[in-house]
Amino acid sequence: MSIVDVFGEYVDKLCDKDPQKARVLLRTGWQYQDLKFKFMPDRRLLPADRYLARLMMDTMLKPLKAPEQTAIVSIFTPAELLQEVGLSPYNAEGFSCYLSASKVERSCLQQAENTGIAETLCSYHKTFLGAAQRGLLPKPRCIVYTSLMCDANLLTFRALSQLYDVPLFAIDVPLQQNEENVQYVAKQLRDLAAFLEKHTGKKVDEDSLRARLETSKRTLEKFRQFQMARADRYIPEDLVSPLYCGMTNNLLLGTPQEEKYVDMLLHDVQSAPAKKGKHIYWMHTIPFWSEAVQKELLFNENSQIVGCELSQVNEPDFDPSSPYEALAHRMVYHALNGSVTRRIDAGIRHAKEAGADGVVWFDHWGCKHTMGGAQLAKHKFEEAGLPLLILDGDGCDRSHGGEGQTSTRLGAFLEMLNGDKL
Amino acid sequence: MNKLYYVCKYTPIELLEALGADCANLNEMPEGFECADQIAHPNICGFGKAVIEQVMSGQVKELVLVNCCDTIRSVYDILAESGKLDFLYMLDMLRSTGECSRERTVAQLHGLAKAYSEYRGTTFDREAFFKAFRPNPKCKGPYISILGARMGAELYDMVQKCMPYPVENDSCVNNRSVGEMLPPEDADFDGLMEWYAAELLRQLPCMRMMDNTGRRQLYNNPNLKGIIYHTVKFCDFYSFEYAQVKRDATVPLLKIESDYTLQSSGQLLTRLQAFAESIAVDWQEGTEKKMGKGYFAGIDSGSTSTDVVILDKDKNIVTGIILPTGAGAAAGAERALEEALQDAGLERGDIDAMVTTGYGRTAISEGDRSITEITCHAKGAHFLDPSVRTVIDIGGQDSKVIRLDENGAVVNFVMNDKCAAGTGRFLEMMARTMEMSLDEMSKAGLKYKEDITISSMCTVFAESEVVSLIAQNKATDDIVHGLNKAVASKTAALAKRVGGEERYMMTGGVSKNQSLVKTLEEKLGTTLVVNDKAQLCGALGAALFAMDMVERA
Repeated sequence: MSIVDVFGEYVDKLCDKDPQKARVLLRTGWQYQDLKFKFMPDRRLLPADRYLARLMMDTMLKPLKAPEQTAIVSIFTPAELLQEVGLSPYNAEGFSCYLSASKVERSCLQQAENTGIAETLCSYHKTFLGAAQRGLLPKPRCIVYTSLMCDANLLTFRALSQLYDVPLFAIDVPLQQNEENVQYVAKQLRDLAAFLEKHTGKKVDEDSLRARLETSKRTLEKFRQFQMARADRYIPEDLVSPLYCGMTNNLLLGTPQEEKYVDMLLHDVQSAPAKKGKHIYWMHTIPFWSEAVQKELLFNENSQIVGCELSQVNEPDFDPSSPYEALAHRMVYHALNGSVTRRIDAGIRHAKEAGADGVVWFDHWGCKHTMGGAQLAKHKFEEAGLPLLILDGDGCDRSHGGEGQTSTRLGAFLEMLNGDKL
Repeated sequence: MNKLYYVCKYTPIELLEALGADCANLNEMPEGFECADQIAHPNICGFGKAVIEQVMSGQVKELVLVNCCDTIRSVYDILAESGKLDFLYMLDMLRSTGECSRERTVAQLHGLAKAYSEYRGTTFDREAFFKAFRPNPKCKGPYISILGARMGAELYDMVQKCMPYPVENDSCVNNRSVGEMLPPEDADFDGLMEWYAAELLRQLPCMRMMDNTGRRQLYNNPNLKGIIYHTVKFCDFYSFEYAQVKRDATVPLLKIESDYTLQSSGQLLTRLQAFAESIAVDWQEGTEKKMGKGYFAGIDSGSTSTDVVILDKDKNIVTGIILPTGAGAAAGAERALEEALQDAGLERGDIDAMVTTGYGRTAISEGDRSITEITCHAKGAHFLDPSVRTVIDIGGQDSKVIRLDENGAVVNFVMNDKCAAGTGRFLEMMARTMEMSLDEMSKAGLKYKEDITISSMCTVFAESEVVSLIAQNKATDDIVHGLNKAVASKTAALAKRVGGEERYMMTGGVSKNQSLVKTLEEKLGTTLVVNDKAQLCGALGAALFAMDMVERA
């Protein structure tokens, strides 16, 4: 048994008896991991990605250390307004990833299912909900979510607000891209500012919000430059860094830390060696725990992930001088909002910019939008000259794995891309 | 003329009728999802797949969707790409009902009116608009309500036939309430649309709306006698409400799930009948028999075995027979009955009354009545041990957990889904993979050393996990224990869902599996009563019911 297995089992058992103690143990384990990232980082990674691992770990630790200074959020909740009132993101999807990495996801999933929650619900949402029900996760100051992209948001966050008895704010994002809808969302974001002011006692300063949005805009522009620069380079990649970036490029957008990360990326890419092997662009979440995927894509010179869709859902085409409209514009024109063809078009553009040789469309269990669009995506990516593999699996719940199938499908796809070199 | 189909109660049907459309709710259950699985994905909601099937088969030419959920959004994308429809439109319905939302809804109504009148070459007919508002009649007396996700027409028919009270369909699209009020006479078109948008949004909120607290009134009606809570596989919205209804509702509640195919509705019959038996007081009345020689038979026709119990008038078990069912339920039952009679030294004419139960119960013409195995198991378990309040029955093709009251009547029950995981069949398949008999398997898991977890819940994937564990040279005892754990956690989850209480009894063939019983006891944190008649429990309950029929005469 590995250390993580033992750790997970301890947290699990303790949680049944004393959830508070289990939470302390979880925090201690994660703090240990944070120290490891600091003093013994994975030297195979770029300095930027080593920095990213710590940045992400710090973000995850905050809710365990000072939950009253955090808001539970869905991944696409605009981060800048929360930063303005000093609330850190306590992110459902991110937490579930870390719980899964700590091997405590199974009992959390089971807990949620025992209360009657469908086993077909997205496992990120179900793990988080189950962990909250078990008392493993602390109570936040408030909850802010958006309807953007995912039905599960509408359900999980409502249930969490009842469970914790904390105030809830929902941002409804219409499907269609037009100015009236931008105004509709902007109005809600102004209401959100008032909500946050009320529940934190702090003021949202519009000038400061503008400055944050300028940071966000610069960060997104520079990240795109990096993605284009990596097209003909080899960057050693694990499975979690692209996923971390998918989280921080949403949750920490507007912070100097996230800008520092992309600055480091731009610096590191200059000294990166020439391209080796095949570049894979990844749509949706990454099953980092899967040994079958690790075997093919973890620090592998023959094939690497060169970008994850989740880190490129926001375009930097907004005007920070009207901050609420800018944020609303970003949400309405979000790559995953509206028809799936918008999502596919963005994916094709980003994959090409990163010099992708192939694309994986990951049908994460429970994500109806991703699964429903899979065949259309296959058709359109390939029409654009990008071979696409539809891979069914789960980013979080090991029981939906089917490792044998994953290994065969992914292996065969890479063999196909490497056809000339077999 | 083509019908215009809709799927959501927020669809402005009255407006479409005023533009000349003939509107109908798209609600049929197809045989299967051959086409939808191909052009969409198997793991999206069955209703969405049903819509794709109907369109691709050419039955639907005009369709107005609402952005109800992720599946319907995908269905729209796929159908738009297919070019199979003459008219396809998706309304961007907001999720809040405030003032801003009403304004945006008015804009949506104008957009739809423009698109449909251009397509049909018609204009808004004011008189037809007013006429289109028709109230939806409701049950006046005691009734059963169907709540939750939409229910296909065929399944709804079946529910109506089974239930002892009138059935009100309050699920999803069916609780549309527009039509109760009439539009203002003096308003112009813009004024009418303003009023109409508010009217559409004023309806009882569906689960996708951000504020849906108003839904509680669905299960607070004093005339409500029972709730059938229906969910559709891969539609997650309603499981959240179910969790709440389960907590708050004060009337009997049955949860069923369908995948929106005709096959799935057939499999639900047992549950519906058992529920009907548990809510109607007078269902046991009916055929009355006269006491003759004082022998009573119960036949439990299961998927794996057919069991027969014969009781004498003092409730002594004269004989109990277990035979493999074989190819046909009727022939299997006939054979088992003959053997039982022979064993008891009786003739067919000596049996005063006979009740059949189990999957094959309706295929057997012999019996005087048929009762579901759920009700029979409860009765049988109560007879064997009156202190039992929860029965866990793991059978060949399904597992059930039944909660009973102090008289042995069913209070609540749950069954596994269509999937084989957690059933006797799962263990049989695994035993085969490991090349051992069920008997050997029953003992193997007792002596495990390494605590292995089989993580896959799917039978097929679990099998490949077992194969790879064998390849890793893991000890047989350890693998069997891992499999037992997988079945035990599925079963324990069912027990939690039904609110299982002490004492627990385990019945069905799998109760003979010692190592599984032990693992399940650990999972539940209690001991299980396993009676030596456990396997005959259903047939015993049936025989007791047969006796009741006569005693009452």
